[in-house]
Amino acid sequence: MTAVSRSARCAALLGAMFLVCPAARDLQQPPDVDALLGRIDDLYRSKSSMSRFEIQVTNPRTTRSMRLKAWTRGEEEVLVVIEAPPREEGTATLRVGKNLWNYLPRIARTIRVPPSAMLGSWMGTDFTNDDLVKESSLRKDFTSRIDRRSASPPGWWIAMEVKPGVVGRWARIELLVTDDLLPVEERHYDRKGRLARTMRFDEVKILGGRRLPAHFVLTPADVEGQKTELRYLELQFDVRIPEDTFSLSRLEQKR
Amino acid sequence: MRGTSTLRIAWRNLWRSRRRTALALSAIGLSVMLVLAYDAILRAYGDWMLETITGPMLGHVQVHAPGWRKDRAMDRTLRGVSRVVEALRRDPEVAGAGARLYAPALAALSEEGFAVIVLGVDPPAESGPQRLLAGVEAPLGDRQVFMGRALAELMHVRKGDTVALVGQGADGSLANDLFTVAGVIETPVDLVNRQGIIMSLGEAQDLFAMPDEAHEIVVHARDPARLQETVAAIRSVPGLQGAEVLDWQALAPEMLSLVQLVGVVGVFALILVFIAAAAGVANTMLMATFERTHEFGMLLALGTGPGRIIRMIVTESIVLGVLGALIGAALGILFVASTHHSGIDFAALTGRGPSEISFAGMRWSLRFYPSLAVVDVAQVVAAAIVTSLVASVWPAVRAARLQPAQALRE
Repeated sequence: MTAVSRSARCAALLGAMFLVCPAARDLQQPPDVDALLGRIDDLYRSKSSMSRFEIQVTNPRTTRSMRLKAWTRGEEEVLVVIEAPPREEGTATLRVGKNLWNYLPRIARTIRVPPSAMLGSWMGTDFTNDDLVKESSLRKDFTSRIDRRSASPPGWWIAMEVKPGVVGRWARIELLVTDDLLPVEERHYDRKGRLARTMRFDEVKILGGRRLPAHFVLTPADVEGQKTELRYLELQFDVRIPEDTFSLSRLEQKR
Repeated sequence: MRGTSTLRIAWRNLWRSRRRTALALSAIGLSVMLVLAYDAILRAYGDWMLETITGPMLGHVQVHAPGWRKDRAMDRTLRGVSRVVEALRRDPEVAGAGARLYAPALAALSEEGFAVIVLGVDPPAESGPQRLLAGVEAPLGDRQVFMGRALAELMHVRKGDTVALVGQGADGSLANDLFTVAGVIETPVDLVNRQGIIMSLGEAQDLFAMPDEAHEIVVHARDPARLQETVAAIRSVPGLQGAEVLDWQALAPEMLSLVQLVGVVGVFALILVFIAAAAGVANTMLMATFERTHEFGMLLALGTGPGRIIRMIVTESIVLGVLGALIGAALGILFVASTHHSGIDFAALTGRGPSEISFAGMRWSLRFYPSLAVVDVAQVVAAAIVTSLVASVWPAVRAARLQPAQALRE
């Protein structure tokens, strides 16, 4: 073994140590929950993002898939456009803050989703309109704490309890985050404390320079054989997005 | 020979004291008429409740795909509904049948979306008295919808406006299209007024990708009392194997309890009315017979046997009872006949109150349609005759047992 190779190996090891060290320390001591949630929140979003993904909705009787393209900026602005199937091409959802609009190219109309329809299905999936909007208010409406250690996969369960007086569908959300800071499973409990749905994250790979689960499965607890899968095909972070992307006028332009 | 002479004497007795006879006849007649009228109104009330409950929305029997009532999933559909409905309409137990499609959707006049329920129906099947589209005159053409009044007011939609509808097809695809509002309608069902957009079944099937499919078939029975037979008939219709067939009592048990409660209260009141009527008849007959104690004493003194006197009184009261009850029944039937078709408008009777009330999510018009069954009339007539008989026999027996001298003194 030469001196050079030994020192090179040392440097590599040091570098690895430097990266791994915070996580390694966390093994003994629960991590800071806010920092952890902040990181998970940011995982698919960053300052801005552009992504292409596939959604497959399976129910006991049919299966349907769509290909979509999405842009995000900050926590408040999201635009999702359906690329396929052709029948639905160009159908878009725009979120700015708490507002959600659907654009329907077939009838050339933009319709704002009313609060009463927020719990309705988004584009026929098991996701609700609310899921698109509520995401960012999780930390505002819930008190979070590290709940328990998970042995396999090694990580921590985070428990989020809804704050008193907050109106919403969920009373409690549990999130399993591995020691390498990736989400694995998220469980949503309704106001009666029953498990209502589970989201699993897998197929970890590098997308847009980040290591993250590229595939989610959302399974409602009450419907046998029903699930919605989302798989990222392409993900770019901190890309430049034209200023007018998240506007109604842009929404109505032919894409 | 003796029987006819008794009858002849009784008849003569009745005409001897016309005032007394007229009094007894009117007491019996009025009582019978009163009980019959109340009975008819009670029936009207029961029919009215059942019609209001089952008429517009519920029907007497509903057919669904299993599980639809629980989650109302768009794709839990009944298939080949046009043929099934045709077969149902041919069934002798069935007065009417219609398929419906229910789809949650967003409706928008401009940008603002409103949560609505799109109701695809067969307009002719839903028209007629006490049906969902009762009183809606406008036809429903291609790409046209009716909108519930409260919803239209909320959305600021007027007749002739174009609204966008967005929902989800049964295959999960996006359903969206533009429709013209052909009418703003007021139905007997609050939910439809608040959230309903009604279109023809065919249009809805196209919009929501449900070719010849529906979520519900509503059946009105020819005879609502023969619910079980109707259910059995529907179950045997080809194309409905495996479908869930339920009568309104199973679909809306709370409504059944309401009907039963009202029924018990009604019967209780009927008993009270009946007792009051019987007391009136009994009182009149008692007094009329007691009044004649002196006369009976005279007859006894002249050698008439007590049995003969009792027979005479019994005959008199039977004649009175039958005559009075027939007069009363005629008056009662006349009352029912004059109100059966036009109904009694209770709203008008109570002054300037509301013409209908809203309860349990439905509009209840305050117009009742009295009706009577032959058995009701027979029962009341028989009861009146028996009552007048019993009420006169007791004083007659008492008088017949008196010493003639004592009876003459009374």
